Amino acid sequence: MTKVLLLITFLLFAAATATAGEAPNHGDSSAILSSLERTAGAVRTLSSDFVQEKHLSMFKTVLTSKGRFYFSKPDQLRWELTTPVASGFVLKGDKGRRWHERTGRTENFQISQEPVMKLVSEQLFAWAKADFPWLKKEYRITVLAESPVALRLEPRSAATAGFLHHLLINFSADGRYVRSVELHEKDGDYTRIRFVNAAVNKPLQADLF
Amino acid sequence: MPVPSFTLFERLYRFLSSRRKLLFSATLLVVALSALASSKLKIQEDIVAMLPDDSSSVAKDFRLLQLAPFTRKLVITLKGGAATDPTALTAAADRLALGLNNEGVGNVMTGPTNLSGGFFGWLGAMLPSLATAEDLVRLTAATTPAEVQSRLQGSYEKLLSPEGWALKGSIQSDPLSFSTLALEKMRFLNMVPKMRLVQNHFVSADGRSALLVVDSEVSMTDSAGSRDLLGRIDRAVTAHVPAGMTATVVSGHRYTLVNADTIKQDLYIVLTINVIAVLAIYLVFLRSLSAIFVFLVPASILVIASGVIGLWDANVFAVTLGFGGVLLGIADEYAMLIYFSCRQGGKDLAVITGEVARPVLFGAAATLISFGVMLMSSLPGQRQLAIYSMTGIVAALLISLLVLPHLIKPAVAASLPLRNINIGWRMPRRAVIGIWLAILALCAWQATKIRFNGDLRSVSMVTPELRQAEEELAKTWGDMRDKALLFAEAKDLEGALALNDRLFARLSGRIPAGELVSLAPLLPSAERQRANRERWTSFWQNGRAEQLGQDLAKYGGAFGFSKLAFAPLLGSLSAAPPAATIEGLREAGMGELVDSLIIRAPGMVRVLTLVPDTPQVVAALSDDLKTLPGVRLVSQSHFGDSVGRAIIHDFTRYMALTSALVFALLVIVFRTPSRIMLVLVPVVTGLVCMLGIMGMLGLEFNIFNIAATILIIGLCVDYGIFMVCRLTEGSNHAANKAVLVSGLTTLAGLGALALARHPSMHSIGITVLIGIGTGIPAALLVIPAICNRDQP
Repeated sequence: MTKVLLLITFLLFAAATATAGEAPNHGDSSAILSSLERTAGAVRTLSSDFVQEKHLSMFKTVLTSKGRFYFSKPDQLRWELTTPVASGFVLKGDKGRRWHERTGRTENFQISQEPVMKLVSEQLFAWAKADFPWLKKEYRITVLAESPVALRLEPRSAATAGFLHHLLINFSADGRYVRSVELHEKDGDYTRIRFVNAAVNKPLQADLF
Repeated sequence: MPVPSFTLFERLYRFLSSRRKLLFSATLLVVALSALASSKLKIQEDIVAMLPDDSSSVAKDFRLLQLAPFTRKLVITLKGGAATDPTALTAAADRLALGLNNEGVGNVMTGPTNLSGGFFGWLGAMLPSLATAEDLVRLTAATTPAEVQSRLQGSYEKLLSPEGWALKGSIQSDPLSFSTLALEKMRFLNMVPKMRLVQNHFVSADGRSALLVVDSEVSMTDSAGSRDLLGRIDRAVTAHVPAGMTATVVSGHRYTLVNADTIKQDLYIVLTINVIAVLAIYLVFLRSLSAIFVFLVPASILVIASGVIGLWDANVFAVTLGFGGVLLGIADEYAMLIYFSCRQGGKDLAVITGEVARPVLFGAAATLISFGVMLMSSLPGQRQLAIYSMTGIVAALLISLLVLPHLIKPAVAASLPLRNINIGWRMPRRAVIGIWLAILALCAWQATKIRFNGDLRSVSMVTPELRQAEEELAKTWGDMRDKALLFAEAKDLEGALALNDRLFARLSGRIPAGELVSLAPLLPSAERQRANRERWTSFWQNGRAEQLGQDLAKYGGAFGFSKLAFAPLLGSLSAAPPAATIEGLREAGMGELVDSLIIRAPGMVRVLTLVPDTPQVVAALSDDLKTLPGVRLVSQSHFGDSVGRAIIHDFTRYMALTSALVFALLVIVFRTPSRIMLVLVPVVTGLVCMLGIMGMLGLEFNIFNIAATILIIGLCVDYGIFMVCRLTEGSNHAANKAVLVSGLTTLAGLGALALARHPSMHSIGITVLIGIGTGIPAALLVIPAICNRDQP
């Protein structure tokens, strides 16, 4: 899910900043990434609804959940699940807060003390800051289609490759938002997240974070 | 009455007087060859010189103490300000570690090797081999239908969250979080009490400090290497620690360097005073070209003694050269007596040499006995010092008696400096004896107050900066360097681990996990693991595993889990569980821990456990462990006491034996009780006054005081012999001047050490200053007063 968040941020980011006319030639991944990097600076806030489908062999059927995602520069992020379980977390710099409606529990944490959360935030903020040198170091990026843009990301590190085979990212036709993200595992399981109602640079309530 | 004389030396003088060129050439050749041999010496700056090397408990404890984690490592605390966030702190620690690596200081650690998925996966898989009976009781509670339902819901919700995506594999194999039981065993492996892991870095509880541990090949006792190492660390700190952060280094290397620098500074002061004082002594008492040869005798014997040690054993302790050198450097009383006697003249020089040879030989015999007894010491440094000093004394004797008389010409009576010096015996003898007895009585009373301090740290220089750094380290990280050590020893690993299991069983109930460091919960013996696995397998039999499968299917189905969702878990319950091994621990990233707590030696494996080094814990364990053979407790604080007791024992034995032997010598030589008692006046006065005044001033008696006491005995007995020979045997040699001038040069050389800042040098200085400072007047004033022979 960490990688999903990374991609969500990146793709919403990209969708908000890219324009159809600026799309580089098919197969020229460097040009596409450079274009994204150039336009990334204009994004201040992002928000989107999402639908997550888990196609996992350990479930009898597809596991569907819904929620909402928010990002605000430079280091604030909110991931909120609304169904079937109301829960989520907020990241703000090195600090974080998570909540769970069923248990009624809310707890603060430090990202640096939680390895998984650290990974999440590290990569999320790398995307948010358009740190493409870092991302290229982490993934081999292939442009599958130019219009609409589709990317395939394969992890470079053995540790990540242990649980992630590749990512597929599909942009909308106009490139303004990400249509879907698929996280494919080695055993054939995958998770698809579809983003809808994306809003770029719209004011976000301060209490969201 | 004819003056008793050793005619051998008289004859030797006559024999050599016609062969002086040959004599001088041979002497110079011996000195030159000795210088060549001494150039091959390898100086060993190791504290083991001053620790027993026998099979005593102290010697073993010292060797075991060296095996404690962090003892031989450099610990660097990188401290940020209150506003420093963990990311900035760990990033700064990484930069500093890189800088230290580039400086080549050694292996630098900022956190555990790798505690990512590999370790936790290993830990979960090892649960059947690690789970105790108590763990299975908790497992029973964790597998009730209600608990299964609750825990499955938790796993289901985790899978929906971002973190859960990466946890799919672990949820399949452990949906009910059984591995928490294994994870809890890590509580017993925290070697740094106030440390937590942040981004895989060692960070303090308050989040403001990061810890770097440097494993350097530079020996802690290597002062030159330590200077270079700390210099490189300073360069890395200057270049890589950002503004607002500080780096503090704590290690034995810093102590070595501080001590070496302090000694150097002290030597400048002491040598300056020494040179001025010796010059003043020369101008007042000697004023002769031939007197220069008297000062050359100690220099020559230093070279000869070093050369002999070099031929005997190339490895010489620094303490032998340092302290032995000082001892021999002031051993000029034989040369002084010969010089003054020859200068005084009045007889044939051959006759004078023969007459003087008697007190010189007796004095040297007493001194040789004093140093010879040290050969029985359990301290290797003291034994080597004995050989070194005895060689030097013999060399001093030979040069003084065979060579020196040929270099001195009798002075014209009128040209002798202070020729009428007769201060002592002009004083009323009853007053002298009365005052002496009063001082002795006072000092004997005060001597009972003296305290022995065997702690080697008390003779080491500790600056306020070092003390503050140690305090800061303890405050930030807790008690990480001063734990008491428990070694479970056996011939092989299995035996040591089995013993360690039994030890842990005794400790775990009484010492909390945060304070007890033990490998037993994570790596029990193979036998214990086998028992754990059998219990585990038995636990899941009789339908329990099937029941769990049914509950997982029932309650998991409600959350949408498939029937095979938890096949990995159910499969593992019936499969043969794997064993926890050292190799497995290493592969899981715990190699550092294994190397710290399992120590292998030829024919011996030790498993180390750490406990708080408090008097209560140590006392309780000392009793309790008597029933657990093979387990050895080594307490750092207790060790200091043990060393102290060993030193006191050594000193008591030494004093008793030396006293007996010297007394026996005096009985043989002087025969009559009155003369024997007279000879003993300076040494008794020197020792009683030294102990009494130190007791009066509240000074503690340490290992260097003991070594300096030997010098007092040797010199004061010599003074007594010189004076008694002069007063009772009718010789007219200048014993009083020899005693006075030799005593003054000793005070100038060693007494000046009392001004030193370094505790060891200061201790030597104080001892000599008091002992010799009171022994000289006792020899010059009290012996004549009691003897009542010298009239003005």
